[in-house]
Amino acid sequence: MNSANSAFYKKDILPVGAFAAVLLTMPFWFEYVGGYSGLDTKIVIWIIFAIGFDILLGYMGFLSFGHAAFFGTSAYFTGLMLLHYSDNILPAIAVGVISAIIMAFIIGFLTLKRTGIYFSILTLAFGEMLHSMVLSTLQDWTGGDNGLTGLPTPMLFGLKMQGDNVFYLTVIVAIVMYYIARRIISSPFGLMLKAIKSNQVRLEYTGVHVARYKLMGFVISAVYAGVAGALMIVYEPYVASEFMGWHLSGQVVIMSVLGGVGTLFGPMLGAAFMLYFENVVSVTIGEQWLLVLGAIFMLTVIFLPGGFVEAGSKIKKKLMGGSK
Amino acid sequence: MINSIFLQFLTGIQLGAIYVLISLGLALIFGTLGVVNFAHGAMFMVAAYLGVVISQAEWGGWGMAIVLVPIILFVLGLAMERGLIRFFYTRPHTDQILVTFGLAIVLQEALKWGFGANNLPFATPDWGSGIMRLHDYLPFLEGFVAYPKWRLILTAVSLITVAGLFALLQFTTFGLVVRAGMRDSEMLRLLGINISQRFAIVFALGVSIAGIAGVWGGPVTQVDPGIGMVFLVPSFLVVVIGGMGSLPGAVLASFIIGLAISFSATIPALANIIVYLIAILILLFRPRGLMGQKGVME
Amino acid sequence: MAILEIKDVSKNFGGLAALGDANLTVEEGTIHSLIGPNGAGKSTLLNVLVGLLEPDVGTVLFKGQPVLGKAPYEINQMGLSRVFQTPAIFDDMSVLENVAIAAYAARDGAYAFNVFETPSSAKPCIDLAKETLNDVGLFEQRKIIASHLSRGDKRRLEMALCLARGPDLLLLDEPTAGMARADTENTIKLLQRISDKGGITMVIVEHDMNVVFSLSKYISCLAQGRIIAEGAPDEMKGNPKVIEAYLGTESEE
Repeated sequence: MNSANSAFYKKDILPVGAFAAVLLTMPFWFEYVGGYSGLDTKIVIWIIFAIGFDILLGYMGFLSFGHAAFFGTSAYFTGLMLLHYSDNILPAIAVGVISAIIMAFIIGFLTLKRTGIYFSILTLAFGEMLHSMVLSTLQDWTGGDNGLTGLPTPMLFGLKMQGDNVFYLTVIVAIVMYYIARRIISSPFGLMLKAIKSNQVRLEYTGVHVARYKLMGFVISAVYAGVAGALMIVYEPYVASEFMGWHLSGQVVIMSVLGGVGTLFGPMLGAAFMLYFENVVSVTIGEQWLLVLGAIFMLTVIFLPGGFVEAGSKIKKKLMGGSK
Repeated sequence: MINSIFLQFLTGIQLGAIYVLISLGLALIFGTLGVVNFAHGAMFMVAAYLGVVISQAEWGGWGMAIVLVPIILFVLGLAMERGLIRFFYTRPHTDQILVTFGLAIVLQEALKWGFGANNLPFATPDWGSGIMRLHDYLPFLEGFVAYPKWRLILTAVSLITVAGLFALLQFTTFGLVVRAGMRDSEMLRLLGINISQRFAIVFALGVSIAGIAGVWGGPVTQVDPGIGMVFLVPSFLVVVIGGMGSLPGAVLASFIIGLAISFSATIPALANIIVYLIAILILLFRPRGLMGQKGVME
Repeated sequence: MAILEIKDVSKNFGGLAALGDANLTVEEGTIHSLIGPNGAGKSTLLNVLVGLLEPDVGTVLFKGQPVLGKAPYEINQMGLSRVFQTPAIFDDMSVLENVAIAAYAARDGAYAFNVFETPSSAKPCIDLAKETLNDVGLFEQRKIIASHLSRGDKRRLEMALCLARGPDLLLLDEPTAGMARADTENTIKLLQRISDKGGITMVIVEHDMNVVFSLSKYISCLAQGRIIAEGAPDEMKGNPKVIEAYLGTESEE
């Protein structure tokens, strides 16, 4: 709530600039911390997913256990477009994201009338419904258990979407979407979302059509999931049925909470941590990496509800206190 | 014709009986404590694994498994409530969901570590194996009609459990307090009733019913680390369809779902999603569920 | 001119009549108090007005428009705001943000997809919020998280929140309940000031007769779900029906 616009934009330049700098330089430093090419792209895709999820969970206060529905719907439609229409990624991504939006309107309409607990249960249920549909009911289209295979190499105006090309595409999309998210959060609309988390009843009695704000907040988070789902297919032209499964929904929940919800930065950090943990650290831990991660997750929920971000600010406070 | 309809009906009831066993504890815990236990499926899974281990151990056997598993699960439930859940009553609901979800993952992965990812064979005991020749007892059936004996036993166990729980809630002082707590826990606290001790017992009771489900249901389901999550979703739907916090609702919804699955089985594409379709219809036209109280979670 | 007309409103709770043929007319620009013993139906009446309860029969007209059957946010958008008995505010948000929400709701109506709005276009709303906070005496505390306010300040914040919505009619449910003497005096002054300044009509449910008689231009007494007496404060002082209503329930309380 700055009074001058210039100050407002300055507020965004530093974090978005830093975010861009870290992502854009990733190919140069990532391998020195044990990463490998390709994993960086995946991390960026998950960061996009996590940003949108935080708008819903961290700001609006709704814990969805079915966000795979939007990631997966978009992934399938992107894959189907690449397979049957054109290997150009633009129409494929567009159709993928639009399909996620439509799905979000339907699921949101059915689930958002309810309180937080009900919402979590129902989103999980509808997510699993779509999962079971792609596995059986729609398997002629989706390839069932095997997933959607045989996709062509995605193209963008004659450019093969492989390796670095995909990486820089996803990075650019991520920077733009991070900036958009920051704007949404600091807008009056974002204030309404925070008010929903704080006190829905008061908001209703302040003359605000709470149901519509909830639905739009939900759809916005689904757009992020849809973009992430579509980019995942561009990155690796194969649609796995797990993209619809609760595992994927659970993953975005875990990374967001680990990082610290309601901060945008936290879930992004959580996404990076989780993929790094899954793909790099797991080499040393072995099969039990998910057990360890689950334990870390539980401990975080119990002792550190604010996640890494809270831990960071606590450490910072201590250091500052010590230097005095 | 009459045979196939009867068999579909029986299968529906038998499926419903499994759903009842798994969702009853969930509904009890939610209705009384307002806690959504995402680890409830994992409790079922733990019970099934315990069932396999105890029934096949040299020192054990089926009889011991039937007795021990619900008791172990009761103790586990007590420990879980005292050691974890009770610290979450005053925290946001989402935190309860998150921590039980985390617990579900830990339990699932721990069992995967100990027993591997594959399905463990879980043989029924001799006295429960084989088939039952139904046409011997039911004269309206034509010709030869048989049904696996264990599934009939499972159905009976489920019905007995339901009756037992309802009797406990209806006819004991403990049950009176619990039912009052489902209505208005604030009131009970004001009356000076030690709610927290009863909460622990109710929670343990709910988990213990999942234990009964695991040990009796394990042989007809699978016993693998994914089974908890497989059953969590339909049992949530049972609770939603029946009405959040309503035990009779959960029972009714279980059998409706079981019958719906059984009778739509000839169309596999439909059978896989029929549960969800029912849930959607309920949400659209009767948001509080079949037997949910007006105003509760509406 | 009547701003609010309640006609023959009845509401039963399982055979118990909370309201029975309640009739009430509130004139524009006045401060109108609603008194009566506990259980007289005052809260039920307020709940009907804001859309929380649907009465069994009856009509409610606000500025000539029917209110019943409308969603709470729609009724609020018509210009009717309520201050609840226990302060309903956005606890984990700053004091200024609390009021800003109401200012945006006043400007944008029930819904606006203004996700990219810049601070310069939002400035009038923020200014309104600050001004309203100044009016209720909370300007200095504007950056504090609302949950850290004292109980009296929370109530003031809720008033600011309702006022920033620019209501025509403000419903106040026991605005001084649980307040210390000095705080009560401040609240009386505040309400008087708001009424003098903006000409906002107020309906106050109150037990503290000192508050009722120092503020009200008109008083209605509710007992057993119906209006048993009404009139200017002078007429109501010592009204036997009112005394009877209070005495009649004294033994039960």
